[in-house]
Amino acid sequence: MLETYGFVGLFIIVTLGFAAIMILLPVALRFLKVVPHHPTSVKNATFECGMETIGKTWVQFNFRYYFYALLFVALDVLVVFIYPWATQIRQLGYSGLFVIAAFMGIVLVGYLYAWKKGALEWN
Amino acid sequence: MPTNLMWLIFLLPVASFVIVSALIKPFINNESKLPGYVTILAITGSFALSVWALVTVMSAEGHVIDVPAITWLNIGNLTISINMIMDSLTAVMLVVVTFVSLMVQIYSLGYLHRDPVNTVDTGFPRYYAWMSLFTASMLGLIIAGNLLMMFMFWEMVGLCSYLLIGFWFHKPAAANAAKKAFIVTRLGDFGFLAAILLIFANTHTFDTNALRDLAMTGVLAGNVLTWAAIGIFAGAAGKSAQFPLHVWLPDAMEGPTPVSALIHSATMVSAGVFLVARTFPLFVFSTQALTTVAIIGGFTAIFAASMGMVMNDIKRVLAYSTISQLGFMMLGLGASGLGIAHESNLTAEIIRGATAVGIFHLFTHAFFKSLLFLGSGSVNHASGTFDMRKMGGLGKAMPWTCITFVIGSLSLAGIWPLAGFWSKDEILAKAMENQPFLFVLALITVFMTAFYMFRAVFMTFSGEYKGGEVHEPHDAQEKASDHEEHNAHTTQPHESPAIMVLPLVLLSILAIVAGFWNITGAFSAFMGHETESKTIIQGLFGVFTENWLPIASLLVAISGIFMAYVMYSVKWLSPSKIADGFFKPLYILFSRKYYMDELYENIIVSKLLLGGLFKGFQKLDEQVIDGTVNGAGSGTRNSGNVLRKLQNGQLQFYGLFIGIGIVAIAVCLFIFG
Amino acid sequence: MDFTLLTPELTLLVTAIAVILLDLFISRKGFLTVVSLLGLAIATVFTFGLRDDLSQAAFSKMLAVDNFAFFFKLLFIGIAAMVIIASTDYVSKFKNFRGEYHALILIATLGMMLMAATTELITVYVSLEVASISLYALSGFLKDGKSSESAVKYMILGAVSSAVLLYGMALVFGVTGKTQIGEIAASIQLSGYSNLLDNPALIMGIVLLVAGFGFKIAAIPFQMWVPDVYEGAPTPVVGFLSVGSKAAGFAIIVRLFFTAFEFPESLSLDWGAIYAVLAIAGMIIGNASAIAQSNIKRLLGYSSIAQAGYLLVGLATLGIAPANEVIGRSSILFFLISYALANLGAFVAIIAISNKIESDEIKDYAGIGKRAPVLALCLTVCLISLIGMLPTAGFMAKFYIFNGAVQNGLLWLVIIAVLNSVISAFYYLRVVKAMWFNEPASLEKVPSSGALRFSLLITTLGVLFMGIVPNLLLTFAEWAARILRF
Repeated sequence: MLETYGFVGLFIIVTLGFAAIMILLPVALRFLKVVPHHPTSVKNATFECGMETIGKTWVQFNFRYYFYALLFVALDVLVVFIYPWATQIRQLGYSGLFVIAAFMGIVLVGYLYAWKKGALEWN
Repeated sequence: MPTNLMWLIFLLPVASFVIVSALIKPFINNESKLPGYVTILAITGSFALSVWALVTVMSAEGHVIDVPAITWLNIGNLTISINMIMDSLTAVMLVVVTFVSLMVQIYSLGYLHRDPVNTVDTGFPRYYAWMSLFTASMLGLIIAGNLLMMFMFWEMVGLCSYLLIGFWFHKPAAANAAKKAFIVTRLGDFGFLAAILLIFANTHTFDTNALRDLAMTGVLAGNVLTWAAIGIFAGAAGKSAQFPLHVWLPDAMEGPTPVSALIHSATMVSAGVFLVARTFPLFVFSTQALTTVAIIGGFTAIFAASMGMVMNDIKRVLAYSTISQLGFMMLGLGASGLGIAHESNLTAEIIRGATAVGIFHLFTHAFFKSLLFLGSGSVNHASGTFDMRKMGGLGKAMPWTCITFVIGSLSLAGIWPLAGFWSKDEILAKAMENQPFLFVLALITVFMTAFYMFRAVFMTFSGEYKGGEVHEPHDAQEKASDHEEHNAHTTQPHESPAIMVLPLVLLSILAIVAGFWNITGAFSAFMGHETESKTIIQGLFGVFTENWLPIASLLVAISGIFMAYVMYSVKWLSPSKIADGFFKPLYILFSRKYYMDELYENIIVSKLLLGGLFKGFQKLDEQVIDGTVNGAGSGTRNSGNVLRKLQNGQLQFYGLFIGIGIVAIAVCLFIFG
Repeated sequence: MDFTLLTPELTLLVTAIAVILLDLFISRKGFLTVVSLLGLAIATVFTFGLRDDLSQAAFSKMLAVDNFAFFFKLLFIGIAAMVIIASTDYVSKFKNFRGEYHALILIATLGMMLMAATTELITVYVSLEVASISLYALSGFLKDGKSSESAVKYMILGAVSSAVLLYGMALVFGVTGKTQIGEIAASIQLSGYSNLLDNPALIMGIVLLVAGFGFKIAAIPFQMWVPDVYEGAPTPVVGFLSVGSKAAGFAIIVRLFFTAFEFPESLSLDWGAIYAVLAIAGMIIGNASAIAQSNIKRLLGYSSIAQAGYLLVGLATLGIAPANEVIGRSSILFFLISYALANLGAFVAIIAISNKIESDEIKDYAGIGKRAPVLALCLTVCLISLIGMLPTAGFMAKFYIFNGAVQNGLLWLVIIAVLNSVISAFYYLRVVKAMWFNEPASLEKVPSSGALRFSLLITTLGVLFMGIVPNLLLTFAEWAARILRF
């Protein structure tokens, strides 16, 4: 039993070693002067390629997006559950119908709730 | 009688306590008598059920009824149950306690009515709440079938006694008396508790019936048994105010007079005697313990009676009389126990029968002593004082009180054919058989008893009225006892209201006839001690033909009464001359209560305890304990600081802690597992 | 698929939805309390209705319908009812979300009820999350800085502990190949486990399970969230959390460990030892920290850590005692009732007092005995029960749990526990002293509503009843300790 874990131990050691080598290799290469070192302002910039960002990085999204996102996710999940049920509708019979109806009912209540609370209004 | 109803005897006063304290007190004004009515109703119910129980027990086989136990706690192999013993001892005690309690509650309606304290304090509901609680605890103690329950109710009656002695807690004397009673009885209770633990450690049971069987089969024997019995007796001595733990009872007279009548004469103080009777199987098999009981009882009887002869406060006379009579009961128990101790093949019946002598005196004493206390309250009601020197001549003004008080006194003095005669006579007979020396002391006590009671009677009821309450108290003792004196005092004393007289009359009837129960030997037979049964006439008159003892004791008692008559009624002898003359040292010794209070307070408490032991403790405390505690305290504080630093509110740190915890557990497990 | 076995839970779900919908359409919000209580009452009736069906497995052995679950269902319904009654005044602080408040309490209760009944690891996790997520949301209901902070901390640490728990479950599943706990037990016995080095992965899984559940029951060192959340969250929610969540944690631990890891004996000795060590740490650190507290909610937070320590003594007994001995389980159940009553009572009293004096500081409790004698008396009784003194439930509960430990050779643990009880008296009595003997800041009376008084009375009388007549509930606890293994 224990030697099986020996392989796990070996695996951990190799993993750690690999990570250490990956981190230490550039440093070591530069130390050995294998890698040239000629910094310029372009090289030191955050983005070496692509567009420079316009405006502030910390943009505020309108929080109403989250409401819509959440409602969308709820529908999404609903579909994920309905689809397999729909494919097997005959075998699952009335009990399946009942269960899916209860499930949809709960989601429906959720929509009703969101509606009444004003989550669907954009103002 | 259905056994379930028997619990109701105990539960009714509990209910009235709950109702009075929880429901009534917050919602009614202080003037209402509703709490009194509720309590009286409950106790009437208890009394009726008690009588029913008594009748049932009388007709039961062996005078014992098996009541199914209620399992209170059942943990693994440890079972503690609530069980009731319903035998003749219980039944008699139940009737006594409920009857006296009923009388006292009725009397209190009248007595407390004019209590001036009521106007500033919620006295009435408080009084009845505690009285109900007391009655309930006392009944609980009586029915308790195991030592643990007994101890619990034992402490509860002590607590109620404390609360009721200090009922007028704003009076320093009352508050001090309450404290004194609490502390002194606690000393005895320590012995009781130690005995319970000792018994449990050796037998693993608390059940009194099981202990009786263990003692009878010889499993519980030897030193363990002796020490257990003596420990129990220490508790009994504390509660029953036996020497040297008697000092609290006279001071306890600071409480309201009905309280003294119920708790400090008839019921709670006799709980000690009851306890010894209940655990009598443990005593019977230890001659040393029995001898201790007899000697302490006999000595207390004469010791207290001697002090009773010189007291001027009527309630204190009665208090010393109570101590003395309780000593008598203990003597009776000890002596009759010694009488059967050497017999072989003792049965449970015989052992219980041996307690009949002491319990019979308890039975009769409860009636006449509560009668006397209530009478003294009635006298106080009229004159506004308890100091007998300020009374006199009240007999004309209050005939009912006077007659009933005289009946009580005659009964206490042991005059044929009143109740006290019969019960006292049996104790004397037992003492003569088994402890001749104590018998002599007891006979002297009979003389003293008759003397001090009739001294009180003559000082109070005969002669000229001396004006009652005077505003400047003469000495400290009066000051201590004049709490009720500032009651608005009318110039002419008058009879108490009917509601106070009624209990006096009922109790005086019992003080006359209660003794007849055993004339025929019925009481002894009921308790389990079979004697040849006599007809009433045989018993009533034949008692003088059997031997010389009843005649002698009667003559001694009559001479005591005569002595009091000579000194205090016709005044052929002047009490003050006697006190100043040859008997002066004795008089001083008696009236200073043998300097026991001084011994306790000045020498033991202030010199030995405060000066010596406590000072030593203080040194120890300052130098050793404080050092340790400070060390421990700063240790705790430091560790508290460390813990507080850990609890720094940083979420990531908390998460890290979880991780460290898991690793630590795993590592420990793999290393030590 | 016998849905009748789920009727109590389904009732709560329907009630929760109904409460949310009602909240949208009616303006008299007091009605919500009535509906919630009604739902709980119906759930109680259904629970009792299942009494004849006890001792069977349901839903492919995912749920057990047994005495143990029955007991906990009643306990959780009772706790939820007390919390809802005690919240009637408090909810007026929440302007908008009274419906959600009640619904979340009902859903959390539903989760806890499932936790007590599940016999399958995935269901364990799902029900645990149902209860936990509701509680995270409830903690933030005051919407002020402290309350939000407590909710976020509780949620994040809860997520960490869930991860740990899942990892543990994954390891156990990895070793045994099963998620149903009865089958796990069978698989472990088949594998011939004799000591922990035989199967370190299983042990590691158990350690992680202990850690994950340890978070729920506030065992050291997974208790760091407790003081912060107790201080910040709404007081009724704290009461709910301290009692319900903890009881649910113990329910699932007892069922899981007793069913899955009781055999072989060496395995149960291992986790018994873990719990013994956690018990010591919990008692000592909980009590030592509580001494220094000046805020009564924080004090009760640390006190609940210490109380969890006493309960862990029971778990250690469960591990070390032979499997057929009922005392380890029944003493935990009895302690949980006693703790639930006393702690809820204390929190109800605190709600009543703090609402009026607007402070949770112990020094502001000075003289409450004069200003609100009934509240102070009830709080005193509850604190005395938490100390474990006669004549209250706490004494009986501690006596019972310690007695079981002593009989199974854990005398050393009990000595530490008793010493800790003595220490704990110090800080509980400090509150009592402040209430009765310190001079009040003002003589103004502290009024309290009928609902608060009612729930306080129930809990206090319960505490006294259990202390004076313990045998009834002892018998019930012993009856309820019969856990079905399948």
